[in-house]
Order: sequence, then structure tokens, then C-alpha cells
Amino acid sequence: MEIGSFIKLQRVKQGMTQEELADGIVSMSYLSKIENQRTDASPEVISMLCTRLGIELNSEKDETIKEKCQNWFNMLFEQNDKSEIISTYEEISQLMSVVRSDNLMMFEIHKIRYFLLIGEYDKALEQINSLSEVAGSFDNTHLYYWYKFKGNYSSVIGEFTHAMRMYRLAEKKINQINISDAEQADIYYIIAITHSKLRNVLETIDYTNKAIDIFQREYNFIRCAQCHIVLGIAYRRIKMYEKAIKHYNLAKHLGGLNKNNEMIQLTNQNLGYLYSNIGDTKEGIKHFLEVVKDEKTKVTGRLMAVTNLIKEYYKIQNFDKVEEMIVVANNLLKQDKNDVYHRLYNYIVLTFEYAITNQDEKFTSLLIEEFIPYLKKQKDHANLIIYSNMIAKHYESVGRYKDSVKYYKLANLTYEEVVNL
Amino acid sequence: MKKMIATVALGALLVGGFVFAQDNTTDTASNGELEPSIFNMMNFKGDL
Repeated sequence: MEIGSFIKLQRVKQGMTQEELADGIVSMSYLSKIENQRTDASPEVISMLCTRLGIELNSEKDETIKEKCQNWFNMLFEQNDKSEIISTYEEISQLMSVVRSDNLMMFEIHKIRYFLLIGEYDKALEQINSLSEVAGSFDNTHLYYWYKFKGNYSSVIGEFTHAMRMYRLAEKKINQINISDAEQADIYYIIAITHSKLRNVLETIDYTNKAIDIFQREYNFIRCAQCHIVLGIAYRRIKMYEKAIKHYNLAKHLGGLNKNNEMIQLTNQNLGYLYSNIGDTKEGIKHFLEVVKDEKTKVTGRLMAVTNLIKEYYKIQNFDKVEEMIVVANNLLKQDKNDVYHRLYNYIVLTFEYAITNQDEKFTSLLIEEFIPYLKKQKDHANLIIYSNMIAKHYESVGRYKDSVKYYKLANLTYEEVVNL
Repeated sequence: MKKMIATVALGALLVGGFVFAQDNTTDTASNGELEPSIFNMMNFKGDL
């Protein structure tokens, strides 16, 4: 990292103006030239600027920082202890605040991923905004990670179109920089996931195959299993069910070999969805039940499975089981009030609770005043179709045809939006 | 009630079949089909 960019980064980080930093050392315009690498300042000037910033120029310490950084960057890509990642981060931050290091920029860029991993999304955004000011001085390696992590942020907040733009920019940098095969496979994998979110089935398959080729060569079975799940979803979407089941089973097998419970349950969830989707309720229920019964699985995962079970049992009119699952769901809802889907699951559970107990007034007021407006706001087209149809049918059954038509219309319009007619 | 059940069943099937045609950013996570994380699975050991 060039000294000019380093000084600019430190100055911005400390909230200092050019005037404050330059005062009594150089003119503001000369500092600007240093920061933008349009001139080579003398070592004395650099030393004075660093002293004012409270930074030490020490190459021995920089070697130590380099090793620690590399170790920490790797931690962000592998399975690691959360507390270890946090403590290493704090240690490096401390060192970076007093020593001039060539690794500072990479460290600052990796902070975006770090904040995302620990769930501090606001801090990740702040970091992106603060680095935008110095992004003009990034080299190709910096740019690769900059695009990738900005894409990660967009993925995490659900803006997949923007995420894809970032990942494609990162991908273009691959040939210009020196990155490991595993890193290359990772960007292919992330692009595949993003295509999957955007429903681009063929691109999903293409990129997943690129990633899995490398992961297989490296015997990285868990990453291979992740790829098999993505392929399973893609083939399910184009109705190649046997192929989808084959990939899901491979993922489950690899998850089992590695004793990776999360992988096994993620596969069960997707298999349950596939079977439910092709009308095989019995098999769907079997797989969803495995997820719900597994207490080691995160509450979020179990909530998703249990709401699917409620729908499946309702479909086959097994209302006792619907009731049983509603109790399970309510217990899970109490445990995880911060989940992003908490409100949605709560609405689903209440809807079916009112439906099976024939509480018509509560049923209609929940759907019309809360649930359907919520689904519209969330642009959750899939659920909007299901629940508008449900209320429309209810109105039809009680002879309120005008209201019934209104909601059938809503379901139809949403459907048209979905298929983009 | 039977009509309502039939509607839910039909709705679920329709949605499953057509959602793949979407080109917007709706996440099906809430529906039951779920991709693995963009991060390495279980980045944090023991965080099931």
C-alpha cells in the first residue's frame, strides 16, 4: 500500500481534515498531492505526518502484523471459533492503530466480511461507506475483495441484483491477481448462489459446476455438499426431480461423513420442500419432521420446517396434527423473537390456528388488516398468492362474492407479476 | 372449509411451479426451499 493512500486512510479514519493534518508541516495542496500519490514526499515530511497521526514506522512490527492478518483472513473463510476471530481482530486493530502497516488496506477491506460474519450489518455498511473515499487508490487485489465483500453485504440484505453486479466485477479481477484455487471456487460458488436467488437456473448450474470441480480436487467435502444442495434446488426448479433428489442425497451423505448436522438438516428441509411440491405429502412430512425434531438445529430452521408441516397436515385435513404443530411452532416462536421471518411465521401459525378453530372474524381480520398488507410490503409473491386465495375462498364459502372476487383478483395479479406476463 | 383446503393445496403447488420464473429479489427462504449460506457453512464452530 502506497504511503500516500495510507496517510489518507488514517486521516479519514481519525476524522481529521487535510488542514488539521497539514498544519505547520506542509501546505494543504501538497498534502493532497501526497495522499493522491502525485508526488513523492521526503522521509522527514512522511515521518512528521505519521507522528501527528500517532503512527509508528516500524518494519519489524509490520512483519508480525502481516502474519497475524493472513491468519485472520483465513479464519474468516474457514470454520472457526467466533471468540477467536473477535479476539484476533481486536489484537490486530490495536497494532494497526499505532504502526504503519502495508496490510492496513487489506485489513480494512476484510473488516466488511468480519462485521457481516458477526451479524453487525450496520457496521459493515459504515465500513463500506468509509472505504469508498479511498477506493480510488485500490490495487487489483484490493479491488477483488472490495467487490466481493460489497457483494456479500448486498446478499445479506437481500439485494441480489446489486450483489451479482459486484460479484461479476470481482470475477473479472481473477485473471489479474494471484488467488488460491479455493478462493476462486468460493467466488464461483457465491455467484451460483446469487443466480439461484435470482432464479437464473442455467447460470446456477454452470457456476456451481465450476465451483464443485475445484472443491472436489481439494477434497473439500463440505463445500461440495453445499454445491450439491444448490444443484438440487436448480434441478427441482426445472422439474428434473430425480436429478435433484440425487444431488440432495449426495449432500446428505457428505454431511453425514463429516458429522455436519446443519448440512443434513438443510438437505432434509429441501427434500421436504421437493416432495411437498410434487404432491408426495407423506415423504414431505417425513423430511420436515426430521428437521423439527432435531433440537440441535437452529430455531430459524425448525420454524421453517414446522410451518411447512402445518401446511402439509392442513392439506390432508389432519387437523389434530395441525394443532400439535401449532403448539410446537408457538414454542419455537417464543425462543427466537429476533429472527427476520419471525413475523411471517407468526402470521402463518395464527392463520391456520383461526382456520381450524373456525374463528372466522379473527381469521379475516388477521389476513386483511395485517398479513396480506405485510406480504405486499415484503413483495413475498409466493405467500401472497397462497393467502389471497385462501381468504377469497373463505369469502366465497360464506357468500360474500364481492370480497371474494377482490382477493381472487389480487392472487391473479400477483401470479401475473410472478410469471412476468 | 373443504374448498379452503383445496385452495391452500393448489396455491402451494402453483407457487412451487412458477416461482422459479421470477427475476426479482424475493427470497424463498420463507417458503421452504433454502440455499446454503454464501459464507462457509457454520463459519462459527458449534453455532448450529
